[in-house]
Amino acid sequence: MAGAVSALFLLDIKGRVLVWRDYRGDVSALQAERFFTKLLDKEGDAEVQSPVVYDDAGVTYMFIQHNNVFLLTAARQNCNAASILLFLHRVVDVFKHYFEELEEESLRDNFVVVYELLDEMMDFGYPQYTEAKILSEFIKTDAYRMEVSQRPPMAVTNAVSWRSEGIRYKKNEVFLDVVESVNILVNSNGQIVRSDVVGALKMRTYLSGMPECKLGLNDRVLLEAQGRATKGKAIDLDDIKFHQCVRLARFENDRTISFIPPDGSFDLMTYRLSTQVKPLIWVEAQIEKHSRSRIELMVKARSQFKERSTATNVEIEVPVPSDATNPNIRTSMGSAAYAPERDAMVWKVKSFPGGKEYMCRAEFSLPSITAEEGAPEKKAPIRVKFEIPYFTVSGIQVRYLKIIEKSGYQALPWVRYITMAGEYELRLI
Amino acid sequence: MAPTVPSAAKSASPSQPSGKSEVADLKQQLRQLAGSRAPDADDQRRDVFKRVISCMTAGIDVSAAFGEMVLCSATSDVVTKKMCYLYVGAHARAHPDLALLTINFLQRDCRDQDPTIRGLALRSLCSLRVPNLVEYLVTPLTTGLKDPSAYVRMIAAVGAAKLYHISATACIDADLPASLKALMLSDPDAQVVANCLHALQEIWTLEAANSEAAAREIETLYSKPVVFYLLNKIKEFSEWAQCLVLELASKFLPSDNNEIFDIMNLLEDRLQHANGAVVLSTIKVFLHLTMSMTDVHQQVYERIKAPLLTLVGAGSPEQSYSVLCHLHLLVMRAPMLFSSDYKSFYCQYSDPSYVKKLKLEMLTAIANESNTYEIVTELCEYAGNVDVPIARESIRAVGKIALQQYDVNAIVDRLLQFLEMDKDYVTAETLVLVKDLLRKYPQWSHDCIAVVGNISSKNIQEPKGKAALIWMLGEYSQDMHDAPYVLESLVENWDEEHSPEVRLHLLTAVMKCFFKRPPETQKALGATLAAGLSDTHQDVHDRALFYYRLLQYDPAVAERVVNPPKQAVSVFADTQSSEMKDRIFDEFNSLSVVYQKPSYMFTDKEHRGPFEYSEDLTNLAVGAEAQENVISAQRYQENDNDLLLSTSDKEDNGTRASNGSSTSTYNAPSDLIGLSSQTPAETSLISTGGPAYSSQSNFSLDDLLGLGVTEAPAPAPPPALTLNSKPVLDPGTFQRKWGQLALALTQECSLSPQGAASLMNPQSLIRHMQSNHIQCIASGGQPPNYKFFFYAQKDGATAFFLVECIVNTASAKAQLKIKADDGTAAEAFSTLFQSALSKFGLS
Repeated sequence: MAGAVSALFLLDIKGRVLVWRDYRGDVSALQAERFFTKLLDKEGDAEVQSPVVYDDAGVTYMFIQHNNVFLLTAARQNCNAASILLFLHRVVDVFKHYFEELEEESLRDNFVVVYELLDEMMDFGYPQYTEAKILSEFIKTDAYRMEVSQRPPMAVTNAVSWRSEGIRYKKNEVFLDVVESVNILVNSNGQIVRSDVVGALKMRTYLSGMPECKLGLNDRVLLEAQGRATKGKAIDLDDIKFHQCVRLARFENDRTISFIPPDGSFDLMTYRLSTQVKPLIWVEAQIEKHSRSRIELMVKARSQFKERSTATNVEIEVPVPSDATNPNIRTSMGSAAYAPERDAMVWKVKSFPGGKEYMCRAEFSLPSITAEEGAPEKKAPIRVKFEIPYFTVSGIQVRYLKIIEKSGYQALPWVRYITMAGEYELRLI
Repeated sequence: MAPTVPSAAKSASPSQPSGKSEVADLKQQLRQLAGSRAPDADDQRRDVFKRVISCMTAGIDVSAAFGEMVLCSATSDVVTKKMCYLYVGAHARAHPDLALLTINFLQRDCRDQDPTIRGLALRSLCSLRVPNLVEYLVTPLTTGLKDPSAYVRMIAAVGAAKLYHISATACIDADLPASLKALMLSDPDAQVVANCLHALQEIWTLEAANSEAAAREIETLYSKPVVFYLLNKIKEFSEWAQCLVLELASKFLPSDNNEIFDIMNLLEDRLQHANGAVVLSTIKVFLHLTMSMTDVHQQVYERIKAPLLTLVGAGSPEQSYSVLCHLHLLVMRAPMLFSSDYKSFYCQYSDPSYVKKLKLEMLTAIANESNTYEIVTELCEYAGNVDVPIARESIRAVGKIALQQYDVNAIVDRLLQFLEMDKDYVTAETLVLVKDLLRKYPQWSHDCIAVVGNISSKNIQEPKGKAALIWMLGEYSQDMHDAPYVLESLVENWDEEHSPEVRLHLLTAVMKCFFKRPPETQKALGATLAAGLSDTHQDVHDRALFYYRLLQYDPAVAERVVNPPKQAVSVFADTQSSEMKDRIFDEFNSLSVVYQKPSYMFTDKEHRGPFEYSEDLTNLAVGAEAQENVISAQRYQENDNDLLLSTSDKEDNGTRASNGSSTSTYNAPSDLIGLSSQTPAETSLISTGGPAYSSQSNFSLDDLLGLGVTEAPAPAPPPALTLNSKPVLDPGTFQRKWGQLALALTQECSLSPQGAASLMNPQSLIRHMQSNHIQCIASGGQPPNYKFFFYAQKDGATAFFLVECIVNTASAKAQLKIKADDGTAAEAFSTLFQSALSKFGLS
């Protein structure tokens, strides 16, 4: 039996119940509130911070946090943990769709809709519909309310549960963003310990009717299967995952990606490349501590990609001791500033072309007296953020995106490529 | 949502509820609105309702307005209706008498022309949870299940389960389960089907406790037609419903390999689903289906690797957490699987600590010859780097890897480097590890002692670290120059030592040191014993007194007690039995994996599912058998567990199949029985006969067939008890008996070394025991652990003896659990059994 949850709570940052929905009547709000407040008090203990917590009374609490709101489920049965945690994230998405942002205030202002949504997303503790587009068929916000609709909710009578019929746009457009995040971990000896690329094809569709889409990529398996001479680069993608709209069987058979897209934005596909990637931006830092009076930083950043590409919004965060003062910073490019709230110096370069090297020097004063045997320092790594437009690490290319609808309109596909830093960490010595 | 009407919003601000007067005011307004036909009455009503709900949300008791709310409920505005339903649902349970008032309008709404209203009303009606209103529920539910709108049907399906929880009899009497089943197999809407399945599982699982019919119905849910029907539709289901269907499929017992491959082909693409829960559910199906096929099972592991690794890296930390829990379980079963992907488990600075902790556990679990160096290097970075709890964990992880005995040399060096880091918590953790290492690898004592000797005991505050240091001082006092003096100074500060653990260790260490270096320690020993004797802690006092008297009695004896020759520890006890791990594996993709406990340990009885084992059953077959990571014999093991568990399972949950069908659904029942029987004729008799043959008739049949009893030169058993040379017991009866009978005897005995060696082939033991008139009914396991179930019958009587025998060939030990119809003879039988067992391998 797939376990059902007993209740869903929305709590504020102090663990007080904002709204809750009792699905099975076997837990009480007070009990959950008390338990959760206790839990938050114990912050810092790794054991209790996990998103799944057991209460002695036979109740399991699973929660996630979003802004200043905790979403918490209480369950007495042996639930599917992965699915419930994911469900909570989906609830966040739905709330965001309805209220722009999910936070304490937006919940308080809209509690009636919140109740309605909670009722439709889960029944008797079993997840039901969690697609915002579908839910908006059941639950009209005030903005929609005036158009009186007597027709039954579409989705439930429809085989395509993620898209309702009768969508109309004046201009039919599709935006496809190919986004690759580079994760890199460099250890204190300068060796790359780990690197991988996580890619996503993010789509925003503004299409009328029930459009049938077909997407062609320079996927090696497909190109070779078609016996086509691989002009340019064909790529191998590890472990591809698709949005539920993609016909997976079709992909298994002949590697065509065909689908009827949901309306609005969604992730069409994600993939992963575990091949070794050269760090696109390499950062070296020398830190010299002078007899507890001052500290000198020398940071070198080098872009290791082709000159025709340019990284934008480069942000390099170099950790400095928490008691550092009097920053004195010089850079050869961009601007750098001390960010005491992050215990770091943040160096920003708006535009960083390929094959260049920039420097930044900084000096901080340190207090001559320190607390004896203070808490052990958390040695944070150097972290880098950047974006490189019109460039993908994997070399993935969209060969075509065809949109066919029975009304025969012409839709415009817009494709964009971007590479950005994901978990990009270089550990200091 | 557009801003609410200003006046209402202000007064309704939930942060400052004005309490009683507010409620009175609301009542007043509601009363005015009740009959109002003013054009804006709907809007006003909506605003007032909103205020009522906001008060309710803020925790103010608004139940006083119940009557007025019901009066105002006649509205065509959906939002107002919803608020009214919400209000009624929240207060009906507390005011069952008033709830009756609402029935009328809810029933009317159930017949509304708008399906949305019909659905909502039905949902509210079923959520009232008031027992005396049950009679009003049945009709709307029955019509709801036949509603033309899928939305209503979907709500009605869940409503049936709700009704069952309010009144089981009402639900059964109205024959709702049958309608649900029909709907599940015919409805075109996937969500309706899914909700029917939810409801049926709940109803039948709970009902099965007192009805055989329901237990059979549960069986049909897991039968081929239903499972295949749902699997073929899988693409139509929502992602959550897919999880449900996949969960169902994982319980399905395929009758042949083709079915297995069909299912796997059908579900292959689910591994690419974006929803991690769907991927995990699919993995569960794959793993459980292929349990009997070792090769394919291995291939499945290979296949699921990439999706799992992606799930760890991408998505929310909560998702990583739940996936890592599952990976940890898998890695226990197939450690080689992820050993080359160890880098995926390196911690990121920004990972939350619960994820880091699991990653460390993964790194420990997958360390082997090829990757130990890199992993330990990485772990060492954490020791000095990140937050303290994680630093501690990583030091422990290094230690655990060392105890797994790969490349200890390098690791010992690392550990010793930790000691030089001069951080209190690092030193403490490391000392504990060095102590454990020395117990396992005494050969390293020289290197370690040199470093440990330099540590000042004053710098260590944590009791565990201090105790470890003291233990080493005592154990290696002959190698450490100043051991007696260090101990002496520790004794001097006896009163400042708060932890009894440390004081206990100190007592023993001084004793050890005394026997190794008497002249230097004599003074310290006197002081220690004196301090110990006057200690307020009972244990410390008792131990001191014990040592004191022991020394008084005979120092030589005392030395033998305190300093016996020690053997290196080969394996530290595993905290979790493999039986437990198998249970958890059965409950893959549930909380059990997260807690690393089978579900019966954390759920109340009434909240358990049909296939979850109950507490009393664990005692039944306590696991010492088969090692975790071996899969090949898994199916066997499962089989014999199942064989034995099913009857008591039925008593407990009543959901298991009757014996006949459960046997036939397993893959290799004939194999199992084949193991136990010695002649082909008998095999066929048992496997075809099943429960139909009584033991008596079977016995005579044997005679009729004129089977010569192949008597081995059996050693003469003690005359007190002779066994029937040809007892017959079918597996079903065995299971039942095993479930019913109490444990008569538990014993441990040893095997001859030759016997242990001959166990390379378990068949030989079975044959050997047969020659002693003890029959095997099921066996399984992997070197070095085997498990057998034997039975025997007292000659000339109907009483049976049942034995569970767990043999470990490495230690040449066997654990026996004997159950007997006639408890008085159990002792005699045990002697007989052991003598037979001890002769195994000698003949």
